[in-house]
Amino acid sequence: MFKKYLPILISLLIVVLVAFMVIVKKSEEPMVKIKETMGEFKKQSSCVRHPQFLSTLNITHPVTIDLSQQQFTGLAFLYGKNFSQVLHPKAWENFEHFSTYALDKKGNVFLAPMPFISIKPTTFNLQKNIYKLDSLTGKISIFIHFDEVLPSASNPYGIISLVYDCDDDTLWVSAIDESNYREEKGVIYHIDIKSKKILQKIEGTDALTLRLLKSKNGKFLLAGSAKKNALYAFKIEQQEIVQNSKIKLLELPSANERIRKIKIRKENILELQTIPFSYTLVAETSDKNERREYRVEWDSRKFKFLN
Amino acid sequence: MTKEIKISMVILVMGLLFIGLYAFFMKNGNTPTSIKSLQEERILLPQYKADTYRDIPIVQLYLEELRTLIKSGKGVLPLDESLLDSSAILAQKIVLKDKEFLKDTFSNGKILHADMMQVHPALVASLGSKSKLLCKKYSCYEAIKYNFVKNSTTKAIVNIDTQKVLEVEYILESQPDISLRLKNIAKEIVLYAPEVANALKYKPRRDEMSMANVRGALQGSPCENSEHLCVAPTFSDHKNEEALWAIVDLTELKLSAVKWAGLGKTTTPACISERSLQNRYIMKNFCEKDTALEKNGWKFLYRLTGSDGLEVIDASFNGQPVFKSAKIVDWHVAYEGKGLVDNESDIQMAGRQVEFVKGEKEKFFFGYNDAMGCPMFSTSVVLPFNAPLVKPLYNKEKNRVGFYLIQDYRNPKWPMACNYRYENRFEFFDDGAFRVVGVNKGRGCGEEAIYRPVMRIDMALGENEQFYKYNGLWNQWLIEQSDFQKDAKVYDKNKYLYKIQNLSNRGYYIEPNRGQFNDQSRGDNATIFVTKYKEDEGSKDLLTLGSCCNLEEDGVERYMQYRESIERENLVIWYVPRIKNDARKGHEYCWADTIIGNDGNIKVKEFPCAVGAKFVPIKF
Repeated sequence: MFKKYLPILISLLIVVLVAFMVIVKKSEEPMVKIKETMGEFKKQSSCVRHPQFLSTLNITHPVTIDLSQQQFTGLAFLYGKNFSQVLHPKAWENFEHFSTYALDKKGNVFLAPMPFISIKPTTFNLQKNIYKLDSLTGKISIFIHFDEVLPSASNPYGIISLVYDCDDDTLWVSAIDESNYREEKGVIYHIDIKSKKILQKIEGTDALTLRLLKSKNGKFLLAGSAKKNALYAFKIEQQEIVQNSKIKLLELPSANERIRKIKIRKENILELQTIPFSYTLVAETSDKNERREYRVEWDSRKFKFLN
Repeated sequence: MTKEIKISMVILVMGLLFIGLYAFFMKNGNTPTSIKSLQEERILLPQYKADTYRDIPIVQLYLEELRTLIKSGKGVLPLDESLLDSSAILAQKIVLKDKEFLKDTFSNGKILHADMMQVHPALVASLGSKSKLLCKKYSCYEAIKYNFVKNSTTKAIVNIDTQKVLEVEYILESQPDISLRLKNIAKEIVLYAPEVANALKYKPRRDEMSMANVRGALQGSPCENSEHLCVAPTFSDHKNEEALWAIVDLTELKLSAVKWAGLGKTTTPACISERSLQNRYIMKNFCEKDTALEKNGWKFLYRLTGSDGLEVIDASFNGQPVFKSAKIVDWHVAYEGKGLVDNESDIQMAGRQVEFVKGEKEKFFFGYNDAMGCPMFSTSVVLPFNAPLVKPLYNKEKNRVGFYLIQDYRNPKWPMACNYRYENRFEFFDDGAFRVVGVNKGRGCGEEAIYRPVMRIDMALGENEQFYKYNGLWNQWLIEQSDFQKDAKVYDKNKYLYKIQNLSNRGYYIEPNRGQFNDQSRGDNATIFVTKYKEDEGSKDLLTLGSCCNLEEDGVERYMQYRESIERENLVIWYVPRIKNDARKGHEYCWADTIIGNDGNIKVKEFPCAVGAKFVPIKF
């Protein structure tokens, strides 16, 4: 009798076993263990350099790039004693306001746009581009135009952040135009500078800021969320973001804060600068009280706040 | 092949197929991006002003004591001695005489309100290195006060044996654990608040509330961008695994927001913030959907737009359509200056880039356009505070004559310089009249400001609307044009300057505001434009309309380039009042001032200016 039904029992057992394995596997996919994905890290030297045209103008270090938009529209270089001297040709205002920059190893400056205070007829189009300040000529031009980036009255933001990758001369770029109140539909692009080709596209994350980090456990792309008061990390292997490797590293104490800048200060310590951000044009960052700074330390399993 | 083997093969194939489909199509937990929690979130914003809570006896007593204290020249309300041990009483007396401890309680000759919050034996962790040594030998107490005006905490370590203050520490933008008195006040406010009872669906009891160590749990004040002292008493509903959080602002002694949240891990203190609750509530209820209102014969929908403020749509009175849309699309803000304009450099005021327009005789105008809109995902600069409210409308004799719908828009830092506050108010009268009102509460960047709200009213009198101006007789406008109301010499019945009606003579007189509406207004001085309806001319959200500072134009001119016929057409009325602010003492208008009141707390004095024409039904 038992022998008669054995094939049915075996097939049922196989199906149940396979189903169990699949379910376990699927539920494990997003739960990448923190210990395996993040680890101790150090401040690393960078391959990038400042634009070469600065030396032809006899501008010597220290030099800083000002994108605050408080004094100058677009981009300005501050240099000299207490950074009191300014290089800001009028032509650098042509593409209006910038939010972040990334230097490359040749001294080119790649710039992400930003809508600021008021909307002009050109504003939405300007959010669709990455800009490049040429290291030799000092001219700013459109580096890449994204047709698929579509800012609108209900979300005036487009390309918003970028970071240069010294390992393969590429850019990691974020766009947040597709998101709305309900959905987070931001895109992170990996772009080859030489060919201007999109190497990878990861959807579903609104990154207000990006930062590359190499730890004991490998390479990561850190993303300060525009939508949530949180910092996320993506694992990078063979210069590609590993699918489903996104993990939440920490949450800020206030619901209104968003991470705007990430700096690696020293061994295992990140500095996070935050602003209030709600996909509007409010000049909230003009009030210095609204900006906060946190230092977080990697403590073997998680980040802990130092201040 | 036996029957059993066949069945087992079917099970195997079908099972693996289903598993394959599941593995392929079902998303894992990491990729979905919709905010599930937001759909479940239930938020209530306060419907009543702070004055409501002044009737609570414990609040009355607190404010009375405060006023007496300030009158006597002191600013720090001490803790009730009956709650302190003898050493704590002594420590409190010592710090309340200590100049260093009290030095932040005065500002420009004014006494500022502070409360003693805690006096208790000093913990080792709170001692500096010098005190640490001394306090091993002597009895030390820690005294903590909170300054409500400066939003700062002061801590002092007192050597009880020597009766000396060992150290004083000021911590800016910081709130301590609150006193028992304030804890009780917070509880009473919550028990008194109708919004809380509504949310709970029963009148709550004191013993149901928990508020242990609220300050520590909230990690920064949840009110007014962390600038006020706030606490959040909670009511737990274990059966449904949720809790009601009632945020109480102890700086203003009022309820700030109410939120239901899940119990356990899903409830993070970070989500309990007045601002983020407001934003989410407004987005969900007024930006993502229309709200219907039916009252006193009026029926309409309203919503908050991305950049055109509060919009009322499809309004009808007693079943007759009145208007399709009414909204204030922009506030042009211009300041007058003298001298040469420096076009070479960008000028910023309070972090905002300003536009310059050359005027006559070395005059220039500068300023910007303020768009009002949704608090998130919009192009607005001035954001909604609290949700739209419906309130009764009274005439000069205090008789109720209708109701109004109002939305408050503010720059978060109002009334600081270069921050603005506007109200969009729609008044609906019981006789079928209505008025679109723009209210400005300053404060702006200074004197010599010219404000121009751009109002758009799309009437619903049919496809054969006709527009008239009164010049002693009613003259029909046949093509698109504008008129400066200030130039008018005569008004029909000394009230009406324009009218719009259809071929059946159903319509509305337009009564410009010349200060007759009992709201201390100095008049509209408006320019009226009448254009033929076009879908791309403001029926959807308008970003900005024209220049802030070119006083020769209001922005609507772009829609009248071809001077099209407006005879028997679907018409749109654009009404652009022109207001000059006034900062002179005793004459303030479109202005706001911050003062220290007789209770030592900050008071904002508002000097609103209200503009807008009244639309009165034509009766035959």
